[in-house]
This record gives sequence, structure tokens and C-alpha cells, in this order.
Amino acid sequence: MSALTAGTPQDMRAAPPTVEAAALSAAFVTALRRTGLACSPDRAVRLAEALRLIPPGDAEKLYWASRVVLVSAREQLPVFDAVFSAVFRGGFDPSGPPARAVAPAAAPAGAPEETRTRPSPAEGRAPGYAPAPPRPAPAIASAGQDAGQDGNAPEREAVLAMASPEERLHEASFAQLTEEEVVEIRRLASRLLLATPTRLSRRARKSAHSSARLDVRATVRAARRSGTDTTRLLYARRRPQRRKLVMLCDVSGSMEPYARIFVSLLQGAVAGAGAEAFVFSTRLTRLTRQLALRDPDEALARAATAAPDWAGGTRIADSIRHFVDEHGRRGLARGAVVVIFSDGWAQEDPEQVAAQMARLRRLAYRIIWVNPRKAAPQYQPLVGGMAAALPYCDEFVSGHSYTALAEVAAAIRGDGQASLKGRGNSCR
Amino acid sequence: MTAAARAGAEEDVQRRVPDVPSLMAALDRNNYLADVGLATALFLAVRLPQPILLEGEAGVGKTEAAKALAELLDTPLYRLQCYEGIDAGEALYEWNHQRQLLGIRLAEVRDASVTETDLFAPEYLLRRPLLQAIEHPGPRPAVLLLDEIDRADAEFEAFTFELLAEAAVTIPELGTIRATHPPIVILTSNRTRDLHDALTRRCLYHWIDYPGPERIAEIVRRRVPASSGPLALQAAAVITRLRTLDLAKPPGISEAIDWVSALAVLGIDRIDATTAEQTLGSIVKNRDDLELVGARGADWLVAGTGG
Repeated sequence: MSALTAGTPQDMRAAPPTVEAAALSAAFVTALRRTGLACSPDRAVRLAEALRLIPPGDAEKLYWASRVVLVSAREQLPVFDAVFSAVFRGGFDPSGPPARAVAPAAAPAGAPEETRTRPSPAEGRAPGYAPAPPRPAPAIASAGQDAGQDGNAPEREAVLAMASPEERLHEASFAQLTEEEVVEIRRLASRLLLATPTRLSRRARKSAHSSARLDVRATVRAARRSGTDTTRLLYARRRPQRRKLVMLCDVSGSMEPYARIFVSLLQGAVAGAGAEAFVFSTRLTRLTRQLALRDPDEALARAATAAPDWAGGTRIADSIRHFVDEHGRRGLARGAVVVIFSDGWAQEDPEQVAAQMARLRRLAYRIIWVNPRKAAPQYQPLVGGMAAALPYCDEFVSGHSYTALAEVAAAIRGDGQASLKGRGNSCR
Repeated sequence: MTAAARAGAEEDVQRRVPDVPSLMAALDRNNYLADVGLATALFLAVRLPQPILLEGEAGVGKTEAAKALAELLDTPLYRLQCYEGIDAGEALYEWNHQRQLLGIRLAEVRDASVTETDLFAPEYLLRRPLLQAIEHPGPRPAVLLLDEIDRADAEFEAFTFELLAEAAVTIPELGTIRATHPPIVILTSNRTRDLHDALTRRCLYHWIDYPGPERIAEIVRRRVPASSGPLALQAAAVITRLRTLDLAKPPGISEAIDWVSALAVLGIDRIDATTAEQTLGSIVKNRDDLELVGARGADWLVAGTGG
């Protein structure tokens, strides 16, 4: 300590933080917590320590020291900057660093662009389609008919057997349910078992087969127990691991009756299968974190705040592009099973949808498109985004009713009878 | 849990890194240009017990920051590149069983006796980066870089943090190895998955912004001695212009360095439309992007750079 020249900050153990630094830190952390930024009290302690090392002579020093200590993700930067300039008004303009492309996380929800997607006349409505709020209908579904057509019915029943109070409810299109039924179906949907196909992981485990790789280390370890002679050869083979599951759900206006149930499915997938969940309408929002909560209502409430453009218009190509650029290319979509829940009605040029689907196709292992409108007998994916996207999808299923969700589960498992196997092989 | 093993910086380190401006100057001398934000972050990483998590686009110099810090502290850098399925055997230590078998066989041939203590001696231990960083004898703490921590499994993340908090490793055959100089820990992440709250809570955090053209030019000049004055600035201007396009893989600083190196090798000292077109492959590395840039034309690319 004596070697320090005068004026250099001292070792942080030398003395407790000064009162000013402590009070300032506590006040700032409290201000941040009020905006909803996760900022635990121990951060205030840490900030006080940091401010002892970097005496806040000017606002810039204070800005960087507190930012490094208090922020823990890029998304928090806009909020942090706002609070900083509110607390230390006029001292320093934190907008000095280059503008960030991230929208403020604390932006008030609401006022999304009111560009609702209108169904084009060429596409028939699903028979059960009713605009929200759903009418309390005696829903004996005509829509569930095509759900029993491909030949894996026993399997489907196995999936459904674990939770099946009423047959009628299971066959009903989501658009025809009463509020109470929606609650019930959402509960069921969030419990659906979803499992992706496996791939070989980098990790190995013991194997009895001599066709596997000889595990020298394990063999020697075992030999140690019986002296130093090798008594038994041990083998290891690479352990199969489930592929990643990524779900993108369209929550635009036209999807409204279905989206609330699909989001429950997403929630179950996040909790049960470690899936990554995104929703999109005019823009893409990652919801994995919000949906990871145990309490489904709380999770959905947080999801709704996180995605303020809920029930707005649709930009499919833009959302997929955003997903691929920000998440997919970095590893999320590589070798993953990607499920897109959307009716394919977009305001964009179908060519753009095709271009972005092609990019996604090059990353993903399988792409499954879930379109509840497919349940309509006269439905043909002829126009617009849907027709453009279809050649890039491995499976095309309806998922419009609880029974039909089993098709989605089978498509994710990849062992059901695929109705649209292979790329470039559409049903056109 | 949050009680980190490092209780702040030792005197020697404090002398080397007394405050933020001197750290900036020292990094500068080591040919790493840090702005005041990054310098503050690194300063606090050295002087506070917490590890620092660096995030930023690919190629903004996250890994380089760790290297430069190790260099200026004159201490080794131990780098652990994380990947899916990485485990303790690859990150911490493993016994060199092949060599042990050989040792037994040799002892038999020489008719010598061999005990278990002989076989589980330090020379049969394969030290992986985490153990190396903890074992580092000093005089200053080593820098431990956990690169792309988001690629490792969440369990590995937890294991690593437990270990770093203890700053000690127990090897059953050898006993506990306690760090005399717990390492300075730098983590990087590409955000392929959300890191666990426990990790972000324990770390300092810094987002490295993409620098402006002048700074890119300065970095390029430092890295490519052959690049004469205008070339680096021109290249930086082209790269900055390219980044305004909606590219799938926007070129980063490493691309700028590669490009200027390529131009230097080709003996080109000015970028014009023709030379830019010829060497576009060093900065645009995606076919869709190439088409997009091609549609704009090479003249657009070099416009305003004085080429």
C-alpha cells in the first residue's frame, strides 16, 4: 500500500466506500429498479466499490463505471441511458455512443401500426373462423375432419390419452371455443409432450457394444480398481441428443383466435422441451425468457407486455429475416427443428418471403409450417406468402384443434407419416 | 456465492493499472485501441473481483481485448474456447492414461516397482486452461478468457462459476490446488442463447459498439504496417458504407484488416472501383450479399473515398 503514489485510488479493501458513493449508488439502483430493470441490491455495493476506484470527476466517468456494473444485457442499455440522463440531468448525454438499433424495452405498449391483415378473397376462411371475441358456440366441429386422415391415429390417441376429458372439445376448432373452453385447451396444450429427433452429440457415454470407440481412459480407471492389469475393455459411443426446437408464432390480427392457444403450446415447449419461442406480427420478439415462468398466466401476461404489437399486421418475411440475422445464424437455427405458426397472410411481396425462407432452410434441419386455415376443405395454399413459403417446408399441418395439435407433435418428432416430405416438393 | 475469490487487485497490478486513462494508454502502446467505455470496463475487471462479460458483434475485438490486457499485465492468457458438450475433462484437467500405461510398462521392463503415487503424480496430469489459470504462480494473476460461453451447456456454465468462485480445484489423487493469484476472468458471448441469470448477476458487463471509420482506419494501420495512410482510411470508409446496406454478414474490423493485408500483398495502394471489385471476396462473404453489393456497383462503393 505504501508503494502507491499519492492520488491513486486505494485498494478496495482499505476502507468502506465513502458515504456519497454509497448513497449515490443506492439511489441510482433504486431508480433503475423502478423502471423494471433487474438490478439487485448487491449491484449498489459493487457500484460503490467501482466509484471508489474511478472517482466520478465528470459525468462520462460516472456513466461508464455505472453502466459496466449495473447493465447485464444489451437490451437494457436504452432504459439505462434514459434513467441515467433523468437522474443526472444535463450532466452528460449518453447518446454519445452510436445509436443502437434496439427499441427501448420500456416503451409503452400499445399504439402499434393498425395495419391489420385482411384475408384475401382468394383464400377461403376456415369454417370455424370467427373474429375475437369468440362466440360461445355449441362447437361440434366440422373442422376437425381432416385431422384423422393420415394414418397415425393410434399414436395420436396415445399422446392425447393423458389428458382427454371431452372428445368434443378436442375436435373443435380453436376459433369456435368459449372462453372457458379456451382456458381448458390452453392448459392441455401447454402439457403436450414435444420431442425433436435426435442427433449425435459431442458427449460420449458407456456402451456395451464393441463396435463403439474404445474408451482408454475409462478402461484404465476401471483397471485401477483391480490393480494395474487391464481386465476389461470399456467402450464409449457418442450420446444422442435432442435437436433444438425453435417456434415462431404469428400473433397478428388474423391469427388471433389461434394465437392464444399456440402461445400456450409455446409455453409448454419452452418449459418442457427447452424450446426457443418467438412471436411476430410487424416485428419479431423473443419470448423464451418470459414464457419460462412456471405460472402460465403470469408468463402470458409478461409475453404480452414484451410484444407490444400483439394482434397488429403481419410481416412474415421481415420477421424471418430478423430471426435469421439476429438469432438463427448465430446458432439457434442450425440443425434445429423450426416450427412456424402462421396463416401466411402477409403484406409483403411473396418473393421476399421465399428468399427469407430459403435462408432459413439452409440453417434448419426441418421446417414445419402450422396453418390453421389448412383445415378448411376448400383451402388451397395458392397465393401470397403461403405459396411462396411452402416449397421450403418439410411439413405442412393445420393444428387448428386440439386433436390436430397431435399432428404438430408428430411433425416435430419427425416419425409420423409426413404429408409433405422433402424440400421443393409442395402440394401445389 | 457472490463472494469471489479475488478480493481486488494486488499491489503490483494496481501499480500497472492505476486508473482508466493509464490503462487506455497502456492498451494503446500494445496496439489495442480501446474507447473510454471499454477501458473503464477492463479497468473494473482488473480491479474488482467480478469477471467481465463482453458482448458485441462478431469482429469488434472481444477476444483481442483479453489478449491485449494479458500482454500489458505481462501475464499469460489462458483461453478456453467453449463448445457444445465441453466438460471438465476438456476444461479443467484429465489424467494422461496413455502415459500412465506406458509408465507401468516401462517399470515392468526395468523390473522397477511402481506405486499409485508414482502414477498419479503431477507429470501425468493434463492441465486444461481452467486449471492452468488457477495454478498460475504469479507474480501477477493470469488472464482467463472463456470464449463464447453461450455455446457451452448451462451446466458447464454453473460448474465454471462455482470453480472460479472457489478459486481452488480438488483433484482426489493430488489434493486441493488453491490459486495464489486468482485469474482475471473475461467472458465473451455471441448471444446464441440467454445466459443464466446467475451468471449475469455475478459479472460486470460491457457491450462493445461498432467503431466509426477513423477508429477502424487507426486499428488497421496498427495491425497492417504495410498499409500506407490513405489506404486504411479508404478501406474503413468502404466498410462503413457497406455496413449501411442490409447485409446478412456485415463486414467487421477483422475483414477490414484482412482486406488491407490482401491489398498490400497485391501491391495496391489506392482503392478504386476495379481493385475493389477484384478483392471484394475478402470483405463480402455471402452470395446474397455479393449480389446486393453488385447491384449497387463498385462505383457506389468507392464513391467519396477519393479513389
